[in-house]
Amino acid sequence: MKTTRCYLANDTSSRAAGAERLAEAWSERTEIQLIRTSSRGAFFLEPMVERDTPNGREAWFNVASNDLPRIVGGIGGTPVAGIPFLQQQIRFTFANFGITEPLALDQYQTRGGLKGLSAARSLSSEAIIEELRISRLRGRGGAAFPVWKKWHVAQQAWSEQKYVVANADEGDAGTYCDRMIMEGDPFRLIEGMLICAQAIGATRGFIYCRYEYPAAVRAMRFAIQKAREADLLDCDDYPFDLEVVVGAGSYVCGEETALLESLEGRRGVVLAKPPYPAESGLYGKPTIVSNVLTFATIPNIFIHGGAWHASLGTEGSRGTMALQIGGRVKQPGLVEIPFGLTLRDVLDRFGGGMVPGSRFKAVQVGGPLGSLFPESQLDIPICYDAFAEAGAILGHGGIVVYDDETNMVELAQHLMAFTADESCGKCTPCRIGSVRGREILERIQNGRGTAEDLTLLSDLGETMKTASLCALGGRAPYPVLTAIEHFPEEFARRQA
Amino acid sequence: MTTRQRLGLAEMLETCRPLPPDKPNILKALLGVQSVLGHVPTNIIPQIAQVLGVTDAQVAGVLSYYSDLRTQLPGRHLIRVCIGESCTANHGGRVLHAIQDHVRVAVGGTATEGRFTVEKMSCAGNCAVSPTVMIDEDLCGRVTPSDVPSLLEPYR
Repeated sequence: MKTTRCYLANDTSSRAAGAERLAEAWSERTEIQLIRTSSRGAFFLEPMVERDTPNGREAWFNVASNDLPRIVGGIGGTPVAGIPFLQQQIRFTFANFGITEPLALDQYQTRGGLKGLSAARSLSSEAIIEELRISRLRGRGGAAFPVWKKWHVAQQAWSEQKYVVANADEGDAGTYCDRMIMEGDPFRLIEGMLICAQAIGATRGFIYCRYEYPAAVRAMRFAIQKAREADLLDCDDYPFDLEVVVGAGSYVCGEETALLESLEGRRGVVLAKPPYPAESGLYGKPTIVSNVLTFATIPNIFIHGGAWHASLGTEGSRGTMALQIGGRVKQPGLVEIPFGLTLRDVLDRFGGGMVPGSRFKAVQVGGPLGSLFPESQLDIPICYDAFAEAGAILGHGGIVVYDDETNMVELAQHLMAFTADESCGKCTPCRIGSVRGREILERIQNGRGTAEDLTLLSDLGETMKTASLCALGGRAPYPVLTAIEHFPEEFARRQA
Repeated sequence: MTTRQRLGLAEMLETCRPLPPDKPNILKALLGVQSVLGHVPTNIIPQIAQVLGVTDAQVAGVLSYYSDLRTQLPGRHLIRVCIGESCTANHGGRVLHAIQDHVRVAVGGTATEGRFTVEKMSCAGNCAVSPTVMIDEDLCGRVTPSDVPSLLEPYR
């Protein structure tokens, strides 16, 4: 019997959606050979099975094990190129997703992998940093700091030892693009880190990955081993040593100084800046800490040029952004598009509307510290400047949609309780403020609040915003205050 | 602690002993202990501190800081229910209640005969197929309250 080659994603979320059950059910079937790839990120279609046709790949959606005859017979498939969710995206960083086997270095190279690194290796440190300056790339982890400036500081610093650290502590709820990169295209992260090492003269690198991502840790360790065997980790005349370090469940370790404390094995407590890590970071040495997505964006800049990157997006936000849509929408998944589309357009074009039976109430952008937007404020363009002007954050690109069954007081209390749990305790506004904030919201939730409590929350919020040491305390009031602003009746209704 | 565990612990701790100029890494040592014993009993803090050349207080400080380091042995199976925003938006709270009702245990507790420990987790990064329940290392997506009995059945 003829064996049909089919593709099935091996990504954590695809497995959680049933890909693993399919692979097990079909493991003895000789009519099909399954190639386990990364996921395209159209998770609402997973488990999705694809096969080659003369006109490109065709896909079967939400597959059950008894769909096998249809797939082998080539009946009822949809051309992948015709899936609107994917067709409307412009993918660079996620171009390989759904196509390659994550741990196959040869496939990575066939699709342009390592070309950025070889281009960078022919350049001087200064020229690499200049190219990044032209690209106008800003850090994708949340702070949106110009990447070239950090690299410039670290490159200028004299030290016998410098470090490159990938921040893979993707703690913002509603975000998963770093996990997808580490599981689905790990060599891209390694390549980005190697370009950074070359630019600043670093000989050691770490990937600080959260405890909740065991599959990402396994994939990265395997990929690093393969890269080492292929001599990729040898910069000109010295070896670059790269390892994965696993965290232990602390949200604030996504903040760079806390991350470095944790990497050294201590409590992940935030430190006052300056000094910035680029001057004095890990073990007091110049250290570049950047988000996984930032490093993964860099190889393409050295293939196509900084000017190419700067030609995409909006004035202050160049390039593409990986948005991760979740919550009560029909089509949750990963969307890579240039900055500039409005939030409404993103939800309409990609989100596909609300799940049947539910109605839109609000959307939260930027994780647990992100502001809530009601229907009337969806025309904001997705870019750093517009969000900053609105007092909101794009953060790491998480977009979570809530339906009309969501109780806003409960949600506000839930989010403030999160900050109270995760506060590192270093600064008073966050340590005490988050606990007092949670208590007030609990009081309102239990119907014992007063109008004064809302004034108190607002005052407390102002203190936390201005006086906290890092974004955890500084941003924690935003979801609460925007919930009160847009849904005041829910808070008023519960007053004693 | 069994003799085997004691030997495993001693062997693991030896690998954490810092060789100058390396500095001691407390977190790494504690994660190592947890991988051997399943938790970090507080009575071995002095032993860990001695090997690393740090104070007991430094070890205790790191141990109490990180939520994934545990000082109590969990049940045979650890159920972690995600309460991240996407799971919350998709009413994952109802799944948590269903699990608590089914195994008859509060969050943080261990059910009778040590079969299950139930905990909340902040985000599993599985937001696109939420609500999420993680049982040991298995991640389950799109979980509804009615799925709970069959979901837990294989974990004895």
